[in-house]
Amino acid sequence: MNSLPRSFLRWSRFLLLIGLSVGLAACGNNPGNTYDPYGDNARRIYELLIPIWWMALGVFVVVEGLLIYAIWRFRRRPGSATIPAQVHGNTQVEILWTIAPAIIVLVIAVLTFRTQAANAVMPEDALRIKAIGHQWWFEFQYPDTGADGKPIVTASDMYIPVGRPVTVVLESQDVIHNFWVPKLAGKTYMIPGKTNFLSFTAEQPGIYRAVCAEFCGEAHALMRFRVIAVDEAEFNRWIEQKKTPPPAPAGTLVVNGLTGDAARGQAIFLDARKQCVACHAVEGTNARGQIGPNLTYYGSRQTIAAGILPYTPENLDRWLREAPKLKPGNLMSRVLTPQWIKQNLSDQEIADLVAYLDSMKVSVTLPPER
Amino acid sequence: MAIAERTAGTVSPPSVSVRPGWAGWLSTTDHKRIGIMYLVSAFVFFLIGGIEALLMRIQLGTPNNTFLTPDVYNQMFTMHGTTMIFLGLMPLNVGLGNYMVPLMIGARDMAFPRLNALSIWLFIFGGLMLYVSFFVGGAPNVGWFAYAPLTQKQFAPTAGVDYWIVGIGLTGVASIAGALNFIVTILNMRAPGMTLNRMPLFVWMQLIVAFILIFAFPVLTVATIQLLFDRHFGTRFFLPNLGGDAVLWQHLFWFFGHPEVYILILPTMGIISEVLPTFSRKPIFGYAFVAYSGVAIGFLGFLVWAHHMFAVGLGPLANAFFGAASFLIAVPTGVKIFNWLATMWQGSLHLTTSMLYAIGFIGMFIIGGISGITLASPPINVQQTDSYYVVAHMHYVLFGGAIQGIFAGIFYWFPKMTGRMLDERLGKWQFWLMLISFNLTFFPMHLSGNAGMPRRIYTYEAEMGWNLWNLISTIGSLLLAVAFLIFLWNVLTSIRRGPIAPADPWDGATLEWAVSSPPPVYNFAVTPRVRSRRPLWDEKYPHLHEVNGSHEAPVVRRGPLHDGFERETPEAMEPIHLPSPTYAPLIVSVGIMILGFGIIYLGDFGLIAASAMLVGLLIMAAGILSWVRISHVDSPHHAH
Repeated sequence: MNSLPRSFLRWSRFLLLIGLSVGLAACGNNPGNTYDPYGDNARRIYELLIPIWWMALGVFVVVEGLLIYAIWRFRRRPGSATIPAQVHGNTQVEILWTIAPAIIVLVIAVLTFRTQAANAVMPEDALRIKAIGHQWWFEFQYPDTGADGKPIVTASDMYIPVGRPVTVVLESQDVIHNFWVPKLAGKTYMIPGKTNFLSFTAEQPGIYRAVCAEFCGEAHALMRFRVIAVDEAEFNRWIEQKKTPPPAPAGTLVVNGLTGDAARGQAIFLDARKQCVACHAVEGTNARGQIGPNLTYYGSRQTIAAGILPYTPENLDRWLREAPKLKPGNLMSRVLTPQWIKQNLSDQEIADLVAYLDSMKVSVTLPPER
Repeated sequence: MAIAERTAGTVSPPSVSVRPGWAGWLSTTDHKRIGIMYLVSAFVFFLIGGIEALLMRIQLGTPNNTFLTPDVYNQMFTMHGTTMIFLGLMPLNVGLGNYMVPLMIGARDMAFPRLNALSIWLFIFGGLMLYVSFFVGGAPNVGWFAYAPLTQKQFAPTAGVDYWIVGIGLTGVASIAGALNFIVTILNMRAPGMTLNRMPLFVWMQLIVAFILIFAFPVLTVATIQLLFDRHFGTRFFLPNLGGDAVLWQHLFWFFGHPEVYILILPTMGIISEVLPTFSRKPIFGYAFVAYSGVAIGFLGFLVWAHHMFAVGLGPLANAFFGAASFLIAVPTGVKIFNWLATMWQGSLHLTTSMLYAIGFIGMFIIGGISGITLASPPINVQQTDSYYVVAHMHYVLFGGAIQGIFAGIFYWFPKMTGRMLDERLGKWQFWLMLISFNLTFFPMHLSGNAGMPRRIYTYEAEMGWNLWNLISTIGSLLLAVAFLIFLWNVLTSIRRGPIAPADPWDGATLEWAVSSPPPVYNFAVTPRVRSRRPLWDEKYPHLHEVNGSHEAPVVRRGPLHDGFERETPEAMEPIHLPSPTYAPLIVSVGIMILGFGIIYLGDFGLIAASAMLVGLLIMAAGILSWVRISHVDSPHHAH
């Protein structure tokens, strides 16, 4: 055994330490970074992590250091036939190093329970939002805010007020999903047959990335959403607009060289033979489908198909044509196959549909992406 | 390297009929051959599981990659997890245990040699059934944890989940039978003088694992049978909209699943506890602490299952309890690590490949243990669970820990099992390449996970900040594959051309080194007598215990096979009684497998499936009849 591998060992441990520091330093503005909290729930978790991280680093350095020192110090010299002292143990020392880790985990446990208690609080005055998981999109209902006792229903964009506690009531329509907004709060499962609750307060306005974090089937990776935290006044303005159904569609929109007409698009949308209304709803119309996302004010969505494409009329046109390719397994393209679309929707009709969906907009000042 | 002066096995072999060639393997009841069959078949499955991992790493190397379709990717991670746990790590440990435990306790075979043969065949057929699913509509694609209700027929219509249920079921029966066999063997067949507190620590850990297994595995078996009934026969155990409970599955699964982690890691801790003393030329430091901390880990392992479920919403009180219980596991684990360090302390460390892997185990397991602390803390857990951080943590424990431990064991015992030495140079190349590429693969996953990357996603967006970490992981995984190819090459060449292994190549202290390499079929011509924890060192270094300080002058060493171990006069030997070779366990296993195929299709193709089940039952009955006959022939009243 020469000295090369030993230096390799030291080198690789050193590399690990560097890696750890880089990891903490790399708290850049990645959209999902848990080290970059903007919500009270996530912040408390981060603040719990920091002391534990330092304790862990201490343990790591001491124990790995002892290991490397032992290898270097007690390696067998070539030709040595020495038999070292046959020490079988030392009860006192062993009791000592049974107690040492126990004390460390006791400290960590106390810190943990404090944070846990703080994060389990559900304030009375919190805004309640119901979030329902579907394969593979998120539905959001605002039960206390809609007109005539009906909740405001939307999907993929969850608007919340900044500075006011929010309690998300989590449910699932089919399989288990997992509600995760890394910069605002820890994960909570959405379980069919069970209701879960998650409370947090967004501390700053922002558009926050969020995902389903529990494997939920074929397109699990493509099940995302955005949390849009705006000032309370802006949030109330959003609510007021969402309470009223969209006005009668008017105007045109040029998509891929074709001029779509919004009014014509609405007629196509409401035509039962075109199948849209079987699954989708738009407030103030006869479209009351419950299976797919509610499309009221679709023109103000941030993304298409649960966070997989930025919302633009061009991408919406693409989604209507290439849904199976863009999101394998999705229910709409299993029913309305590309062949069906080819036979039942002309390019002009698709342009009209896009124009209609794009015409329904709310006015809201968007916060920065976080 | 110490060389034994004499090799054992100079006595003339007693009359044992071993069928030549393939027939010998198919009909064997010898624990050593069964151990090798476990090791070889588990290693093949392990390589397949590794290929599945490589395919996933290639897919994730760059954002928005289209190398695998989502469904194929989902099949890959399901099969990777299932394969590595049930068909790779577990049977590798069982294989080493099967070969070594009887030798280490001075026994001639396992307590139930035919049951042992049944275990290996059920394991192999269970694994094959799982892989048949690829060719009949698609492998299971619901994750190795198979959370309800995604496993129900409406969400998972292919037969993949059914093959998963039956395949896991067969390996489960094999494991439970194997565990009973280990318990009876270890408790009843130790050589005279080998009290429980003189057993080698590897045997201790195998004993603990066997107990964990018989408490944990039946829970999984019951849960999967309930799932089978949900899918085909109209029950609703896990169907929430029909009165069942999706969370019930998670409780059942993790009540098995967490102890399973200790089923995987404890035997390798046992290996480390044999390898470190041998190559430090010292006894294990604090034998009792190491042994009983294993018992503590095994016990606590049953009280922590819900730390896999902190995000499920069980409530703060339940989460606090399971968090606290999980923290407690740090205590016996820390004790083991400190005792291993103390074993090396002031030793004379012989850095063989086996020793390097044992040290590598400690080094990487420390990282896996530390990263587990944050996962045990419920508030931090809900940020890290289901993210790549968990993937990193779990691989530091099961790869950096268990796999390196198994390599320590393989490099340690390969000479004993084959009679040939593995190439140490290649072994060290493999070790360093593996250590570096392992860290390249899995360390960045801590970072991508904490940067918000969820597990089990087949693709991700370029702007998430995960690109670099994933690229490094993918490069690391390709290098890891090279390390495994080096090992494969080392085994294939050494088994034919490696230097002949002496009986005691490492100057070992336990009984397996008292017999020739490979051992005779009957292991010990005469049952050895044991007077301490290091019976072989008692023989080799009779004056050692009188000296307390370091022995500067070489200690006089006697031949290892002195009086108590082997008497060299065949006349003095008692007749050796070994079980006859038999095909009965193989036939029974084939019958059970056909029965399994019938069960999978019973709901869809009733008549054909029922006929297949009948055929399976008939074959099983024939096997059992032949089993009864041969056990009658072998019974002590009948033989000799």
